[in-house]
Amino acid sequence: MRKYALMMTALLNVLVFQHASAQTAARSILQSNCMPCHGAAQMSGLDLRTREAMLRGGKRGPSIAPGKASDSILYKAVAREGALQMPPGKKALSASEIAVLQTWIDAGAAFEDAQHEESGWWAFRIPRRPPVPATTSTWATGELDRLLEEGLRKQGLSPAPLADRHTLIRRAYFDLHGLPPDPAEIDQFLNDKSPNAWAKLIDRLLESPRYGERWGRHWLDVARYADTGGYETDVYLAHAWRYRDYVIDSFNQDKPYNTFVQEQIAADEIWPDDLELDGSYDLPKQKQLNLARRIGTGLFTIGPMAAESTFFGGQYRTEWQADAVDTIGSAFLGLTIGCARCHDHKFDAISQRDYYRMAALFAGSEDREVPIVSRMGIYEYTRYQTRLRSADELKAKLQRLDADARKRDSANPREDGEPLPYTAEERDQRETLLRQIGQAYLTAPKLYAMANLLVHSDRVPDSHVLIRGDFKQKGEKVSPGFPAALNSGPEIVEPDGNLFIAQRRKALAEWITAPDQPLLARVMVNRIWQGHFGEGLVATPNDFGRQGEPPAHPKLLEWLATEFAAGNYSVKNMHRVIMQSSAYRMTSLARPSNATMANAKIDPNNRYFWRMNRRRLEAEAVRDAVLYAAGALHGKMGGPPIAVPLTKEERSGMRDFSQWPVSSDPADFDRRSVYLMVKRSFRLPMLETFDAPDSSFSCARREASTVAPQALALLNSEFTMKQAGRLAARLQREHGGNRGAWVEAGFRITLGRAPDHEERAKAQQFLERNSLPNLCLLWFNLSEFLYVD
Amino acid sequence: MWTDPTRRDFLSRSGLGFGSVALSYLLGGVSRAASTNPLAARKPPLPATVKNVIFLFMHGGPSHLDTFDPKPLINQLDGKPVPESFGDVQLQFSKFREMPILGSRRTFARYGQSGMEISDLFPHLAQHADSIAVIRSMQHDGFTHTAALNWLNNGWPRLGRPSFGSWVVYGLGSESDSLPAFVVLLEGGIKSGPPVYGSGFLPAAYQGTVLRNGPAPILNARRPDGISSEGQRELLDNLKWFNERHLESRADDSNLAARIASYELAFRMQMAVPELADLTKETEATRRLYGVDDRRTSDFGSRCLLARRLVERGVRFVQVWSGSTTGTSDWDGHKQCDKNHVEIAGRVDRPIAGLLADLKSRGLLDSTLVIWGGEFGRTPTSDGSLNGGGDSLGRDHNPYGFTIWMAGGGVRGGKVIGRTDEIGLRAVEDPVHVHDLHATMLRMLGLDHEKLTYFFQGRDFRLTDVHGNTDLVKRLTRS
Repeated sequence: MRKYALMMTALLNVLVFQHASAQTAARSILQSNCMPCHGAAQMSGLDLRTREAMLRGGKRGPSIAPGKASDSILYKAVAREGALQMPPGKKALSASEIAVLQTWIDAGAAFEDAQHEESGWWAFRIPRRPPVPATTSTWATGELDRLLEEGLRKQGLSPAPLADRHTLIRRAYFDLHGLPPDPAEIDQFLNDKSPNAWAKLIDRLLESPRYGERWGRHWLDVARYADTGGYETDVYLAHAWRYRDYVIDSFNQDKPYNTFVQEQIAADEIWPDDLELDGSYDLPKQKQLNLARRIGTGLFTIGPMAAESTFFGGQYRTEWQADAVDTIGSAFLGLTIGCARCHDHKFDAISQRDYYRMAALFAGSEDREVPIVSRMGIYEYTRYQTRLRSADELKAKLQRLDADARKRDSANPREDGEPLPYTAEERDQRETLLRQIGQAYLTAPKLYAMANLLVHSDRVPDSHVLIRGDFKQKGEKVSPGFPAALNSGPEIVEPDGNLFIAQRRKALAEWITAPDQPLLARVMVNRIWQGHFGEGLVATPNDFGRQGEPPAHPKLLEWLATEFAAGNYSVKNMHRVIMQSSAYRMTSLARPSNATMANAKIDPNNRYFWRMNRRRLEAEAVRDAVLYAAGALHGKMGGPPIAVPLTKEERSGMRDFSQWPVSSDPADFDRRSVYLMVKRSFRLPMLETFDAPDSSFSCARREASTVAPQALALLNSEFTMKQAGRLAARLQREHGGNRGAWVEAGFRITLGRAPDHEERAKAQQFLERNSLPNLCLLWFNLSEFLYVD
Repeated sequence: MWTDPTRRDFLSRSGLGFGSVALSYLLGGVSRAASTNPLAARKPPLPATVKNVIFLFMHGGPSHLDTFDPKPLINQLDGKPVPESFGDVQLQFSKFREMPILGSRRTFARYGQSGMEISDLFPHLAQHADSIAVIRSMQHDGFTHTAALNWLNNGWPRLGRPSFGSWVVYGLGSESDSLPAFVVLLEGGIKSGPPVYGSGFLPAAYQGTVLRNGPAPILNARRPDGISSEGQRELLDNLKWFNERHLESRADDSNLAARIASYELAFRMQMAVPELADLTKETEATRRLYGVDDRRTSDFGSRCLLARRLVERGVRFVQVWSGSTTGTSDWDGHKQCDKNHVEIAGRVDRPIAGLLADLKSRGLLDSTLVIWGGEFGRTPTSDGSLNGGGDSLGRDHNPYGFTIWMAGGGVRGGKVIGRTDEIGLRAVEDPVHVHDLHATMLRMLGLDHEKLTYFFQGRDFRLTDVHGNTDLVKRLTRS
């Protein structure tokens, strides 16, 4: 019996050995002969890189029948037994190669997926769900809390107690909507005694479209979003707003984050759809969906770009590709890949070659403006072009009239905006002309809908390492690929020559969103955490490399990353997970209880999240909150960017005032800040002073500076004066002449709470000598209005 | 300060950090600890000859060939093709090899003991020839306005970098407790807009503040019409009461204390600005010196006079712009370059000479560096045809060789540094790249351009990237 067992073991060993070697041999044959087309390129839908994909097969069905080579399409094709003969052309596999494949399939076609070499750097390792400690504390409500508590204990810290409901509802509103809660909404929450009141509130907030406007703006920071290209011409990127709306919509829909990433990188290659616009008024649903996804590729059409002749041909392409690689690195991978443009990265394992292999992923792709309406729609629009032409002629007449008037008065230097000295007759003529021009525009339709998307160029140019990043100094030729340190995955194999439709971005999208990609989930959960706590677990959200900060709680980050993936990359799910924890509901007070007295000494800057961080509102939230409190915020969503009127002081330095075409509908001036024009050569002063980002680079984390111009803007600007007047009017409208009620309501509207006895007295005293708008102005300037506890 | 590795971390993730560093500054004299205060005046780490900078920026790019770099050969070759030996360069609008040489219509004379050659565009300035050092061999590679403006102002041709003034304030802080440290005096719009005085990736506290002529010189630093002076004071007092009450239970949060203090600074600024901008307090003689009351020179002259008043009040870096995209014109002489320069130089010559004289007489020139220049020079070739039409007699952009000059702050005047070739196309002797100019100016301010760094996007950024050479310092400051 024992002998038999020994023999079996020996036999088994041989079998295992053979099995392993057959697999290795088969892999080698497949790699060099088949995967060029049936690897990342997936010709006919067939991908031979994993066993699972082989079994799934392509258009012709499963490629292998394990245990039975003679029934396997793959075997029959290489053995040239049927009509399908592979590899195509004359070059057949050798008899011994065919025999290896036959043996391998007959033995079960074992094919272990290539094991990635794990790098030593923590962020490059695949996240694994950590063991969650048991806890006896009453503070912790779930795994997140238990992991945080464990991490805090290691530092000698203990978690702060929970904040009160007043604080929590204000925190939740600003976190998810970027707006203060309305007094009625506060009452509703405070009076809801059900155990799931908090969970219901979170769900309600997540369902509102205000959520996408808030979190979409966070993403737009990362995407270095702007409506103009910057530099001298600062060219208007007329369709950039479609990308902005795509982002807002994606957050509102709770599009899985991996899909969101895939769409932005390669919607056109993953969900291929010609841009042939079918001959009907309405595009088929599927086509509409595919086009909507494709607007995501607008990410690579909104970067800073010099439209004047600073850059020529190759240089422009080089800069464009560099921007694409930087954006991929910062936004999706949380890595400063840009450093490797001129030399190997000094700190992270990214070589210059890696950089240009990534740049090559964008060779053969370009930014193009394409119509996104049906062909019939285009005809419809085109018919009316003659009316626009007549408007042009009328405008020319007007210009001639102005030129004459100017010539007559050329001796006098003219202040900008000062009217010309028209004769009475000219004034009449102008009025008529202006009316006619207006009518011509009204009867002509707007241009049909267009978008800037990534498309494929006719041929795919070769890619080279550029010495010191200089487009003129071409070095070694490189093929597209991914950094070796980050599980570079299978080679991207393409046919010979450069007349093929590249699938490189698809390969990139799949690589970046593969379940074993170590950075995707980590980087995004860290951004989500930052959106709730003001700081990331990794304090450098765009740099998970060796120059970045290590995570404050490594296990917690791993847990969040795996939770994110397990929840199908639902961002809204992560909001629920985080916001329902005790961790999120902690008070922001530094000395809330005796138990936490020591914390402030050990970790005064709250690096370890033993309490909530108090946060100043971001620029957009400041403006939106003021408008909201004034009862003036306009809820309209989407569409072309809004240019609000500027005072002469505000617009100083702007190159050309005609580049700030103030929107024609004054109602637009009260819309949310996310819809305001983002001009690269001119930041709106009100937003700039509150640290709105410079849109040249991806912005991972906003500054929150405290400077005197902020005080001046809130005290003296036309904007706050106007809104103070509106809030006063609102209070009078709602409460008539009842001064006591004004004070009560004003506090509730701006701060989300009633005044206490002393505050009430102080405010009423102020009101005796000052106007109600002045009291409203005071409310807008309170620290409590501008900060979230 | 910037040699301290913790400062970098401190400022670069400053949500909490910045507020607390701002605090000690905003509280004025209470706690001006240099190690924690981003805007407090700091002692320069190296010996400095310059405390304040006034940068006279000639927007559009003045022609060096018609101002400070005479080239007899272009007059001899006027209308003729460029000799083969000068090769080719890339220009924005014209094809260099296809354009005829355009001679200068100006006459040059020698001035001062040094015998410096200056054209008749600057008769007043020429009287200060012995105070200025001319560098004729400036160069960079940006032949469009934006690339060139970014080169001169941000040390890099593309967007996103902090401006020179921002770096200086980041390095040295502010000497004034009621005015911004970096002030920009504009004529109107700039071809690449506010990024040329922006703080790029540095915190917003370091960006340039625009100060305009007229009743509201600094944005929002004027009490709104609907609020009386007493009303505003009462509002501020009440605000303080509420904000301090809010702070009571949050005493650990330095941001909140900083915010309370920022209202006091804002109020001081609001008070200080009208006094600063009121040029009527200057004597008749001073006003005449700057040409404030002469229609032609009034605009630029007022700004030069303001620049002196700012420096007097401790403002670290002042940039005065001549030319704009929204006003009358700039130095961009693509058409009728000579006519353009006669007009615009006539607006700045007397004010600049007045500024130098005034700084000198008040003893401010020793510690104030005055620098004059534009984003590039102009070509020796014509930008269009030579005969007839509005496009004729212009010059295209030339970043390959152009002139700037400096005075004050330890600069020995009467010097000419560097040389361009015989037609003034390229710098051929002692070329000075913009990086070298920036490294030099920082060094004169007592800052080491290799150590003035800011951590961003995974690395330490510098104004001078990985370049810059300070050899020029010796040549400028020694006789």
